[in-house]
Amino acid sequence: MAGKIVSIHSFRGGTGKSNTTANLASQVALTGKRVGIVDTDIQSPGIHVLFGLNEQKMGKTLNDFLHGKASIREVGFPVGKNTGEGAGRAQLAGKELYLFPSSIRGQDISQILREGIDFNKLNEAMQMAISEFELDYLFIDTHPGLNEETLLSIATSDVLIIILRPDNQDLQGTSVTVDVARSLDVPNLFLLVNKALPKYDAVELKKDIEEQFQATVTSILPLSFDMAENASQDLFLLRYPDHAWSVALRNVIPYILNAE
Amino acid sequence: MPGLFDRLDKEIKGNQKDGGISPLDIAKLPPSLRKIMKLMLRELSMSYPRMCEVMDAMPEKDRLTRTELDSALSSLSEQFWLIRIGEKEKAIYKVNLRRKAGSTLMAGIWSSLDNKLKDKTPKSS
Repeated sequence: MAGKIVSIHSFRGGTGKSNTTANLASQVALTGKRVGIVDTDIQSPGIHVLFGLNEQKMGKTLNDFLHGKASIREVGFPVGKNTGEGAGRAQLAGKELYLFPSSIRGQDISQILREGIDFNKLNEAMQMAISEFELDYLFIDTHPGLNEETLLSIATSDVLIIILRPDNQDLQGTSVTVDVARSLDVPNLFLLVNKALPKYDAVELKKDIEEQFQATVTSILPLSFDMAENASQDLFLLRYPDHAWSVALRNVIPYILNAE
Repeated sequence: MPGLFDRLDKEIKGNQKDGGISPLDIAKLPPSLRKIMKLMLRELSMSYPRMCEVMDAMPEKDRLTRTELDSALSSLSEQFWLIRIGEKEKAIYKVNLRRKAGSTLMAGIWSSLDNKLKDKTPKSS
């Protein structure tokens, strides 16, 4: 069976997309699955930070693959062999988790903006990552909003998780994204609410949003100062497994593992 | 002397320059064409016999008849959304996505910046 593609998306920025993607992918890797993460947010990459990578430590990138300067095998960074500092990340030692980072070099980002993107190569990167690394799951961290890279990742996804905050701007934007995802026949479309204020009744909020979008809300993640204080330095879910945010995020895992 | 692979590779690259489909176009396709394009996105390239096998293995409600499949492949190939190499039973299909265009505005900004930087370069006496 071919590996499944799980796209994590939000219509607006700042919803916690990269943090959610990194933590969910890591939790799935802890179950013994072979997992990859592709950062298709080529214009503003960031998920590498959660795995302790910076410009110096980063080897070949997705940009190198897109420009024919590296194979996908060279781009895949084995997190399990390079967990670095961080008590959360340390738990990934020996696990089959691979990060396919986008470059954070200014020149590389400006090259993409100037020259555009070869979507045949971008799609090849995703499909070859699955086949060459024999992945069970490939998580895609997307650029917020609806640009063409995002639409490509949605079109090729088995599972799409749209993150939203309980905010009217997010709700309107999510409506657009849900419509597009449905027109692309995504087989498993889920919602995930993040940064919910403690005063909200989680059960009521879930019911309201599910009624509005006719889609399953996998979990309601609370607004957390502890999460903000973590500042993407470590994988919060792995470091603080009993925290309310972590417990709520773990509720999402069965939706991914049981998706057909 | 160029071999068969070189010739086919050149043919594919030539055809790819003629356009391709954007992800948004895929959303607007009729269901039967969209089904094939989505399958091709995952497989990258497929032979006609393999495509028939995959189609036959689909649940009945999703399956295209051979006539529908042939018609869909023909339509997608004519628009260069799929690139067809070879004919009939021996055909191999490859998905052809349209390149995301670069920003012309950015090119202007960068050339302007380059010129300004040149102006500030200290002149040798």
